[in-house]
Amino acid sequence: MFSLLFKYSLPVFTKGHFVFLSGWPAWLLVVLIVLSVAGLAVLIQYRLKRAAVETQGDAVRLSTRRAWVLWALQGALVALLLVLVWQPAMSVAELSSQQNIIAVVVDNSKSMATPDADGKPRETAALNTLQSGVLDGLNKRFRTRLYTLNGGLNKVESLSMVTPAAAATHISDGLQQLTEQTSDLPVGAVVLLTDGSENSGGVGSGSSIGLAALQALRSRRMPVHTVAFGSSEASHDVELEDVSVAASAVANARLAATVSLQQHGYTNTHATITVRDGDKAIAVHDVTLGAPGVIQTEPLFFSAGAAGAKTLRFSVETLPGEENRDNNALTRPVLVSDGKRRILYVEGEPRWQFRFLRRAEEEDPSVQIVSMLRTSENKIYRQGINSPDELADGFPVKAEDLFQYSGIIIGSVDASYFTPLQQELLREYVDRRGGGILFLGGRASLSDGAWGASSLGDLLPTFLPAGRNNFHRDPATVSLTQQGIDSPTVRLLEDPQKNAERWRKLAYLADYEDPGTPRPGATVLAEMTGGRKRMPLLITENYGSGRTAILASGGTWRWQMLEKLGDPSHNLFWQQLLRWLVADTPGPVTVSASARTLSDQGHIDLSAQVHDRQFHAAPDAHVSAHIIGPAGVNAVLEMMPSQETPGLYTAAYTAEKPGSYLAEITADAAGSKPGKLGEDVLTFQREDGVAENFHREANRTLLDQLARDTGGQAWTAATAKNLPRDISYSEAGISVRSVKELWNMPIVFLLLLSLPAAEWLLRRKWGIV
Amino acid sequence: MKLSRLAFVFATAGLCCGALLCAVRLHAFQRVGDFGFGNAESSTNVKSEFYWSRLAYTSSMQSYGSYGGGYWGRTSWSRDYPKADRQFLVAMHRLTRIDGRPTEQVVRLDSDDIFNYPWIYAVQVQTWSFTDDEAKRLREYLLKGGFLMVDDFHGTKDWENFMLGMRQVLPDRPIEDLQDNDEIFHTLYDVDSKMQIPGEHYIRTNRTYEKDGYQPKWRAIRDSDGRIMVAICHNMHLGDAWEWADDPNYPEQFASMAFRVGLDYILYGMTH
Repeated sequence: MFSLLFKYSLPVFTKGHFVFLSGWPAWLLVVLIVLSVAGLAVLIQYRLKRAAVETQGDAVRLSTRRAWVLWALQGALVALLLVLVWQPAMSVAELSSQQNIIAVVVDNSKSMATPDADGKPRETAALNTLQSGVLDGLNKRFRTRLYTLNGGLNKVESLSMVTPAAAATHISDGLQQLTEQTSDLPVGAVVLLTDGSENSGGVGSGSSIGLAALQALRSRRMPVHTVAFGSSEASHDVELEDVSVAASAVANARLAATVSLQQHGYTNTHATITVRDGDKAIAVHDVTLGAPGVIQTEPLFFSAGAAGAKTLRFSVETLPGEENRDNNALTRPVLVSDGKRRILYVEGEPRWQFRFLRRAEEEDPSVQIVSMLRTSENKIYRQGINSPDELADGFPVKAEDLFQYSGIIIGSVDASYFTPLQQELLREYVDRRGGGILFLGGRASLSDGAWGASSLGDLLPTFLPAGRNNFHRDPATVSLTQQGIDSPTVRLLEDPQKNAERWRKLAYLADYEDPGTPRPGATVLAEMTGGRKRMPLLITENYGSGRTAILASGGTWRWQMLEKLGDPSHNLFWQQLLRWLVADTPGPVTVSASARTLSDQGHIDLSAQVHDRQFHAAPDAHVSAHIIGPAGVNAVLEMMPSQETPGLYTAAYTAEKPGSYLAEITADAAGSKPGKLGEDVLTFQREDGVAENFHREANRTLLDQLARDTGGQAWTAATAKNLPRDISYSEAGISVRSVKELWNMPIVFLLLLSLPAAEWLLRRKWGIV
Repeated sequence: MKLSRLAFVFATAGLCCGALLCAVRLHAFQRVGDFGFGNAESSTNVKSEFYWSRLAYTSSMQSYGSYGGGYWGRTSWSRDYPKADRQFLVAMHRLTRIDGRPTEQVVRLDSDDIFNYPWIYAVQVQTWSFTDDEAKRLREYLLKGGFLMVDDFHGTKDWENFMLGMRQVLPDRPIEDLQDNDEIFHTLYDVDSKMQIPGEHYIRTNRTYEKDGYQPKWRAIRDSDGRIMVAICHNMHLGDAWEWADDPNYPEQFASMAFRVGLDYILYGMTH
């Protein structure tokens, strides 16, 4: 219809430039139109007045409003005629016939084998579209090259070679590859037939066209015409969108994972999410599926279990009638370390809290308490030490001695017990070294130990109350805050509400200390009520690179003695709290990777932050990565120091085979004090063909955006028949600028006839002919 | 004096005596009812971190008394009570940083209140006997983390009687002899060489032993993690050494040893 009225197709108008061929200035046209229209207005005004005088009181048959309608019609006609005199035309770049190449790219990934509503696979629909005239139409005017797109781009000779079996869809990589492969060829446009299930970022990473690919296309002005296949959503499917879980954990630590899923066709249906370590189910979580197409997030908590490199499998049960059963599970590598995190516990007086805390941690293979207890004025009783020299001189006075601990607990110890140097070390320990300090309530703790007035007052997560009489040996009941209910740190039972109820029923604390009011940014996980006053019990806060916390009581030991024999609450609470304290404390070497799961490609960037014994960046270390992978993969890489960031070392690696990989990074000091600085380990995995099982619904939004960003057009199978005609308007390849005159458009003749006709008809109606 | 007036005098005297007896009984009741976490108002029952807790148990020798009869009279569990306890607490205050109450606390096995006191001391344990509920409560107390020190029983017969009760509480736990290098002898003082600590009878007899208990036995029962939960002082009497420490006739070396061992045991109980 558009072409019928306007003679040319839409791209002529959207891609071309409007010009006048007469050579006369455009301003003159504007002036003439204005003068003409104004002249008509004056004339009409004059005739209206004259008619009023002549009729002398008789009814005027042509009202003012009708007169201006006629003026508008006459003005439009005059303006149109003047425009035609100036010879309007469209100047548009057009591909030269038979000189340009059209790259026809067909997605042959597995998702294209998905049958849609009509029962036909998407690939069949795509090939049918090409074979039902589109390819012939293109071949008549251009040369065509056939490609398949999957994890990369492959040139094929005929459509018979296209089968939807490839394990990935990397549209960005494919298009970028196309621009590189055809850099010396006159490619006029790209026709991309796909469902848009881009998965170059892996599962759960979202999908978009990479900036590099877009820039490569734009630099060659190469339009991409997308032809979308497939339905936009499945009728019955549950899909895991993503799983977020820590990359590493200490043995038996409580891990928190967030599972995102969405569904179509199963609203309000119950399903079960299971976490498996090998064949063993380590967590089961029931969910009620929410609204269709909406991402639903479910938290999961489970034990990390014994040490080792693990591949945890998160799955949602397959529901009856699911169209895609391959998108119900995801795997994540998690490294569980058995290295004991050592926590220094400084206690100023023998207390039951000290004893029961130590006993709780003796059950935890991941944490070791190293304690120094002031048993008498001049005696310190040490436990958990590695050598007779450790802490022999009391609390450390050197950074390298203090910074070896992953966490610090300060019990009933007056602030003045620490020298100014030691206080500064404590601050550095949290702020720079990234350690965690837990302050306990007690007779000489917090405000009663004058901590508020010390130089470390701002290290605490609360504003301490005034005075030194805030510790009370009176019972206090406990409960969780909403933040505590949501936190894994204080989770004694899996179910959040049952956990909150369990906390409310815990035996009362033997004592409590008013910790004051939380600082902005602090998190209160648990509260207590003592002496009819409600106060924070457990407060946490991030400070600098580390974290601090207050447990404002020395009486949690009653949970062990007063609850039933075998009740795990006391020990579990302490184990989880202390794991939180040390979990994020970095070692001297901290390694990270660009990705934990590599989807259908093996490139990974490793980086290691290396510190010396005082925890300053170590720019002159010797750092190497030992990589062990599947099927005997064994490689050693030298990591190179970054020029921008001191202490940062990087290396690139390509995992050729699918499977789990382990990278051990070792840093040795160079220079005057040689020796091992530290080591760290990480795991990653390469998955081939997994991402293609996810997001199989057609991503028309992505394809529309790609077409729009490159100057192409988004097509469907139904509209693609016009593609060979419209594709020729492109500035890529070998193109000529053609001029399309507009004076002879049917719409022009229609207007030239219809404007006077309309005036005549109106005059007839109003009786003023 | 008229008979009626005489009767009035006797009646008044009787009432006064009755009131006095009631007051005594009430006092006893209040002592029992006063178990718990101390009283901020009291100078002696002050709230503290550590309570010297003496176990009051029913005795297999009823003539020595039990809960029901003569509770505050001469009983097995209260041997040396309260002087030994208080003199030990004086030493504990002087020599350690433990925040302890200056007076002792009596705990019993017929109430869960015992779980508020993670360290308890018992003497004359050859006479103890437990109902099933009491044995269960003491077992749970120990397995949850409570610490029990037993003292002042001597010779073979006493050991057998002690074990009758102990096997009711912990049927399967082995009893071992403690070595000098065991951590329990090194928490506050390094007590490397130990002697038999006699009771006050030593002043009169110059004998360190009683009955056929010629050799001191430093023994213990450990939990499944190897921590001592029952410390057994057999063939010796530390309680008397504390009690008679201020007697110039009682040898200083016995008293000093008893204090050092007692403090080590408390520190062990508060650190392990």
